[in-house]
Amino acid sequence: MPESVRALVERFKPPVSVRTYGTVFTDTSEFMNIGYGDVIHVGARNYLVLGDESERRFGMEDPKFWVKRCIELETGLYRILKLEFAESFDQHIGPLTITCHRSAAKEARILRLVAGDARFMQGVAHKDSTGNLVRVLERVAGRRLDLNIEDIHADHREYFHELFPGILTRFIAACRAIHHLHQHGETHGDIRRDHLYVDHNTGDYCWIDFDYGYDSVENPFGLDLFGLGNILSFISGKGVHAIQELDQAALGLTEDDCALFFRHRVVNLKKLFPYVPEGLNRVLMHYSAASEVFYETVPELLADLEPCLDHLNDHPNRA
Amino acid sequence: MDFRNILISVDASDNALRAVEYAAAILGPAQGVRVTLLYIERAPNRDRFETEDAWLNQCRLDHQGVFDFLAKARSVLVAAGLADGAISERTVLCSTEPSIAQTILDVQQEGGYGTLVVGRRGLTKGEEFLFGSVSTKLVHNAKNCAVWVVQ
Repeated sequence: MPESVRALVERFKPPVSVRTYGTVFTDTSEFMNIGYGDVIHVGARNYLVLGDESERRFGMEDPKFWVKRCIELETGLYRILKLEFAESFDQHIGPLTITCHRSAAKEARILRLVAGDARFMQGVAHKDSTGNLVRVLERVAGRRLDLNIEDIHADHREYFHELFPGILTRFIAACRAIHHLHQHGETHGDIRRDHLYVDHNTGDYCWIDFDYGYDSVENPFGLDLFGLGNILSFISGKGVHAIQELDQAALGLTEDDCALFFRHRVVNLKKLFPYVPEGLNRVLMHYSAASEVFYETVPELLADLEPCLDHLNDHPNRA
Repeated sequence: MDFRNILISVDASDNALRAVEYAAAILGPAQGVRVTLLYIERAPNRDRFETEDAWLNQCRLDHQGVFDFLAKARSVLVAAGLADGAISERTVLCSTEPSIAQTILDVQQEGGYGTLVVGRRGLTKGEEFLFGSVSTKLVHNAKNCAVWVVQ
């Protein structure tokens, strides 16, 4: 390791045990070989690797070997480096299987498009010495929206009347952010409730991870609209309500009250919480197994959703 | 609109071939019909390919597939009795916007086609939500023409 980089490592290495003075990588093709203590040199900067990022799904740690937690040695700032990993794989949505691909180029394009836009994670892309696109990302100073909502200690009625209008306001802003992508011919591609963060300082929502892509289809934004519906159902219900955990007979629940793709998730929330306004419930029912009409664009969704917000804000119980 | 001025919208699928065969069976003995085979061509998503060369190669393959299909479709129509001179082909490039369905409808309006023929994949409700259905959009949005949907 060159002396100049070694000095930077000395200055900024974290106060944990790190294998010091690993290898400096300018070519990130073999990302499996890049580990803690190594340095990635890209975009005229050096990034000390602390470890691989991982995703916790269904209680399991799923390591992402192409995503490195790093310290930018020139500034001491925490950065996430996503290394180029082109793959195609099948994604399962309920009974459907969709082939999608991971595209560094797509994410790099979107990072350029949303630079300075707090509704999206921020970062820049650089090519390494062999042309791999490395995305250098800032850590979002916030927490996953779904975890925030799960931690709210209030019953649904109190949550719905006191907190939900503010959450819906911010969710609508997040929908507009997705529309901004669509207007520029892009899609998010992987809209999930754990890909929406709440900024610690402003409380605003911020989308992360937009490297998934799909082949062109007749409804290019259908998958994004599907993801928005899932999040809307989650925030409206203060979580997922599985039909098998409910008294189906007493509530009059049928399969038609459940989500089109997840036949155990109740989306007809009015049957569970009668104070859910009809307008909001109608939006949710567009995502149900009974629906014959689907949203194709964000403006179509918002045309129905925004009046619900006005209705909620006018509610007499609203503080 | 002239109902004998017929637009058959195809891709290179078996469903499209079924639509062509159906139209051929109906139109073969008919007099005074003109048939245009329309192929809406959309380039594969560039993001799916690691290199420009790989993408261009796929574009070339797809493009060749278009012409192979159109030649096959023409032969089906001629075999059914249509005059060779009554058949024409047209390909239109389409990006993400407008949709394929809208592009077909634009061609239909512009060309004064009174009959529109299209195959149908038979999507499930879920597939229609996520991916969209060209034939459903055509049925909903076509104006001043008959739409034959062949499954």
